[in-house]
Amino acid sequence: MALSEQTRAAIDQLVARYPERRTALLPALKLAQADAGWLPPEAIAEAADLVGVPHSAALELAAFYTMLRTEPGPPTRVVVCAQLPCALRGAEGLIRELTHGLAAQIAAGSVEVERTAECFGACHRAPMARLNDAYRENLDADGRQRLIAEIAGQ
Amino acid sequence: MTVALDYAPVLLPHPGRRTPVSLTEYRADDGYAGWAKALKTMTPEEVVEQVKASGLRGRGGAGFPTGNKWGFIPKAVGAKYVAVNADESEPGTFKDRELIEVEPHRVIEGVALCCYAIGAETAFIYIRGEYVEAADRLEAAIAEAEAAGLLGQGCLGTSVNVRMLVFRGAGAYICGEETALLESLEGRRPMPRSRPPFPAVEGLYRRPTVINNVETLANVPAIIDRGSGWYNSIGTPPRNSGPKIFCLSGRVNRPGNYELPLGAVTIRELIDDYGKGVIGGKAVKGVLTAGVSAPILTADKLDTKLDYDSVQAAGSMLGSASLIVLDEDTCIVRAATLMEEFFRHESCGKCTPCREGTSWLFKILSRIENGRGAPADLELLLSLSGEISGKVLCALGDFATSPVVATIKQYRAEYERHIEDGKCPFAPW
Repeated sequence: MALSEQTRAAIDQLVARYPERRTALLPALKLAQADAGWLPPEAIAEAADLVGVPHSAALELAAFYTMLRTEPGPPTRVVVCAQLPCALRGAEGLIRELTHGLAAQIAAGSVEVERTAECFGACHRAPMARLNDAYRENLDADGRQRLIAEIAGQ
Repeated sequence: MTVALDYAPVLLPHPGRRTPVSLTEYRADDGYAGWAKALKTMTPEEVVEQVKASGLRGRGGAGFPTGNKWGFIPKAVGAKYVAVNADESEPGTFKDRELIEVEPHRVIEGVALCCYAIGAETAFIYIRGEYVEAADRLEAAIAEAEAAGLLGQGCLGTSVNVRMLVFRGAGAYICGEETALLESLEGRRPMPRSRPPFPAVEGLYRRPTVINNVETLANVPAIIDRGSGWYNSIGTPPRNSGPKIFCLSGRVNRPGNYELPLGAVTIRELIDDYGKGVIGGKAVKGVLTAGVSAPILTADKLDTKLDYDSVQAAGSMLGSASLIVLDEDTCIVRAATLMEEFFRHESCGKCTPCREGTSWLFKILSRIENGRGAPADLELLLSLSGEISGKVLCALGDFATSPVVATIKQYRAEYERHIEDGKCPFAPW
């Protein structure tokens, strides 16, 4: 089995929570992803089986949503918003500094710095980045150095 | 100079606060008074009528009258649903996040009132996956309200049942489109449905469904508690009643959420008096009022009042009231390229004109910005936009053409200079 016993139990609980079973599919995939950090084909298939839908239905979601990953990646993922409000407040400079400051970690495959055109709703605290699931906002010169130190220290 | 507005915020009464208002605090400030009043003294129809009389219009962008939307729900028995749109993903928009993070109970009370008004026992709050903190706080507040007997089976000792489920998305702007949101809730790829049938007739699980934005519902508790007459003392009724949260971002000294009555201030006053002016005292080149989804307004429109009708008369839309300020150093072609990159990224792929068109618009804009544009490119961009707009199932395709069409119309000389010089005339930013 690709999923942990705990995850399987949590998905069973989810299915019972909603008026229709299939509503549990997206939350089930998110739980499944938490196991390995990404969604291997076996995990997608198993989540689909637990919810009771064809494997293709689960793959359709896994391949669509940006927060679901169908390929493995580094454990630390930094996503920088480069959409207009952030770009107007120095997002490109932030990306350059992070890429430079974390060059060793990126080369070692432990960190990934990604630029996105998506907006994360932190335009009033721009520029910003998501460090895995957490927001890091108001990334001025000091903030950038602190973020680099935080990631490098992990 | 600062406009001294005699206005006490209703939706965000604690400006600057970052921690959530607890149930105890909220109740001490008349929280859930509207909920108790509705349950004990009003019929569901009276709640709908009160919201209709308030003139409240949808705060998610479309501005549709909320009471009318509720009135479309058939009276027949059987399951009905409320779906709350907290998939806030429009660039420049961060109001629902603050409402949920700081005022979760105000949002919950609004959702409960909507459930009661239309006869729904289950509400889904669809929140974007990245808003982890907000979703956690919302779930904690729902648990608090349930423990206090405000929600759940037999709310406040009545026979009314209300259950709220927080549903976390996973990264897709399209889920803010109401029928895509329903598809996502049903566990399918979030692609917009063809309408009719409209959600009021066949929505979630093919049952009658009301879909409202977070800020819209956050207005309802005060409307029920204090009455539609009071509500209409705020703003410029009948078409622009009540308060609105204005999200101010871009090149201003103090970006943030500012709650003000509709029509009370102009764009210039919002920038100067609340945003403390443009960074470095620069001149404004243009302002987007509805995130990246409506035409940019040029600097000569800065004295436009911030309400639905005035912004429309000026040539754009108030939308979600997400104002992004571009200063004189901002390259308009680069700005348009970034905006189009967003739509290329977020097009769900269902309709060919949008899926293919947004990609081509982005490529052509990029080559102009990079100094490789041709004189024919501007007409090409406009004709391509014409092949997308109006030929797709949802508004995303239409929105995707406005960064192109409006910027070419308003700032054509800047495009031409890029093409003639073979480079961008602005310093990188």
